[in-house]
Amino acid sequence: MQYEFLSRPAMTAAKLTLDAGESITCEVGAMIAMSRGFNVETTSRNKGGSGGIVKGLKRMFAGENFFLNHFTATSPAQSLFIGPAMLGDIIHYPMTGGTLVVQGSSWLASTSGVEIDATFQGIGKALFSGEGIFWVKCTGRGDLILNSFGAIHCVEVNGEFVIDSGHIVAFEDTLEFRLGKAGKSLIGSFLGGEGLVCKFSGQGKLYYQTHNPPSFGKLLGPKLKPR
Amino acid sequence: MIQFDCQSCQKRYKVGDELAGKKVKCRECAQIMQIPVLAEADDDDEPLIVAQLAGPPMRPQPPPTARPQPSPISRPQPAFAALASQRPPLQPQATSSSRANASSKNLSGTTADLSYEISQRPDFALVRIKLQAGRKILAEPSAMVSMTPSVKLEAGIKGGLGKTFGKLLGGESLITNTFTAENEPGEIMFAGGSAGDVAYQRLEGQTLYLQRGAYMLNTEGVEVTGKWQGAKGFFGGEGLVLLKASGYGDLFFNSYGAILEVDVTDGFIVDSGYIVAFEETLDYHVTVLPGLRSGGKIKSLFFGGEGLVCEFSGFGRVWIQTRQVNSFLAWSNVFRPAKSN
Repeated sequence: MQYEFLSRPAMTAAKLTLDAGESITCEVGAMIAMSRGFNVETTSRNKGGSGGIVKGLKRMFAGENFFLNHFTATSPAQSLFIGPAMLGDIIHYPMTGGTLVVQGSSWLASTSGVEIDATFQGIGKALFSGEGIFWVKCTGRGDLILNSFGAIHCVEVNGEFVIDSGHIVAFEDTLEFRLGKAGKSLIGSFLGGEGLVCKFSGQGKLYYQTHNPPSFGKLLGPKLKPR
Repeated sequence: MIQFDCQSCQKRYKVGDELAGKKVKCRECAQIMQIPVLAEADDDDEPLIVAQLAGPPMRPQPPPTARPQPSPISRPQPAFAALASQRPPLQPQATSSSRANASSKNLSGTTADLSYEISQRPDFALVRIKLQAGRKILAEPSAMVSMTPSVKLEAGIKGGLGKTFGKLLGGESLITNTFTAENEPGEIMFAGGSAGDVAYQRLEGQTLYLQRGAYMLNTEGVEVTGKWQGAKGFFGGEGLVLLKASGYGDLFFNSYGAILEVDVTDGFIVDSGYIVAFEETLDYHVTVLPGLRSGGKIKSLFFGGEGLVCEFSGFGRVWIQTRQVNSFLAWSNVFRPAKSN
């Protein structure tokens, strides 16, 4: 599979080119357009049969959809355009046997060698990290395509790194994170608008997004018609 | 740093200068190629796909800095067709410009009536039009951003009742603004209502269909009217009436999200909500996503999130947008305040 990202960073679409027999699993609703030579299969299973209803339900809690769309090319050089719903960027992450923990709703697509599953990070993190309760855990080998709200930055954490809640896109599981207060005093942290922050430690890659959806939602909310 | 693309599969590589002139094998398709001796890696380019020949493509993400806009250069043809058409084979000096985000480049050109430049693409596209003396521009209401004093603006209903009504059904306003450069040339700036891109097409007798609300402006000679789509329109989710633009002149249209051009030669499927425009030479019908079994197709239809799609066949160009307003609305719905009694 080849990939190309177009119109970065706010309106990014990914153009994937697949050869006959290659297949890719996409988030439901991610397809923008495609060539004619694809077979599309909608299931709750990973490509190849593992998974099923339980995994589908777990995915739902992780902010993804119960179903997955598998696109399999039936002739050479078929192109598939995919994009997320929100304004933001797309990145490619090569999976080489490690584990990447992805924030719910940031997973966009992956090739068949990548297994996706939901993971629980603990009750404290579930309630206060500003992210979903479950995370999407990606393991295996292959290509992983992630999207964000806003642009994506990557830091190579070596030691410690602090990030505001709501900005995490993905991190390698060689990193640990715990919740902490941003300033010295808890009250000061909350008054400063940062509240609790995520403190990462260890060594590995951390991807974060420049904007966080809840903040934007709070800005919009009062201006919208009550439902 | 040298950047170049594989001639056969267009995979991009970036290698150190010391490898100039060496022969290497493409990791993707095993094509043997020679690394060009000197290729400019322009600094404003994103650190695209830093694919070292040895390792997997890993790269840090670039900061979201605004890329410096290149100074406007008059080009006879729009330059963003690079996406759809085959990229030219190995041309070291052109690799970065042809590959790096064709959709963020300015578009410009000159015709008999005007010269135009579309800048700030694709997020906040702005059209600057230099209008020859005596020429007219017809535009949808509120598209104008600024104009020089020499331009006269006149609002009114253009064309006959039927045409106007057709436009209304096609999601456009009854009113058309006419901008006239009286006595001397004038300059007008236009922008769309939402964040997004603007596309340009010169009409030489061919016909273009536009999605509801995509119309922005045109010169005299282009006729914009509504076209009844029947059942296709009903199921395609694009509205029963599409806008039809035909004649001779310049046409500008816009959308939420970036606009990508795709030249269809062998059939192409587009999720119906993402169509911005297409040429009349293309035939389209509303269908479901292709699947192995009919049961699977029905499952994809209801749970696959794409619903019905449009399948284009024949030869022609289709313009697609990368984002949908409806998805954004669905997302923002969660944040609406609850109704208080």
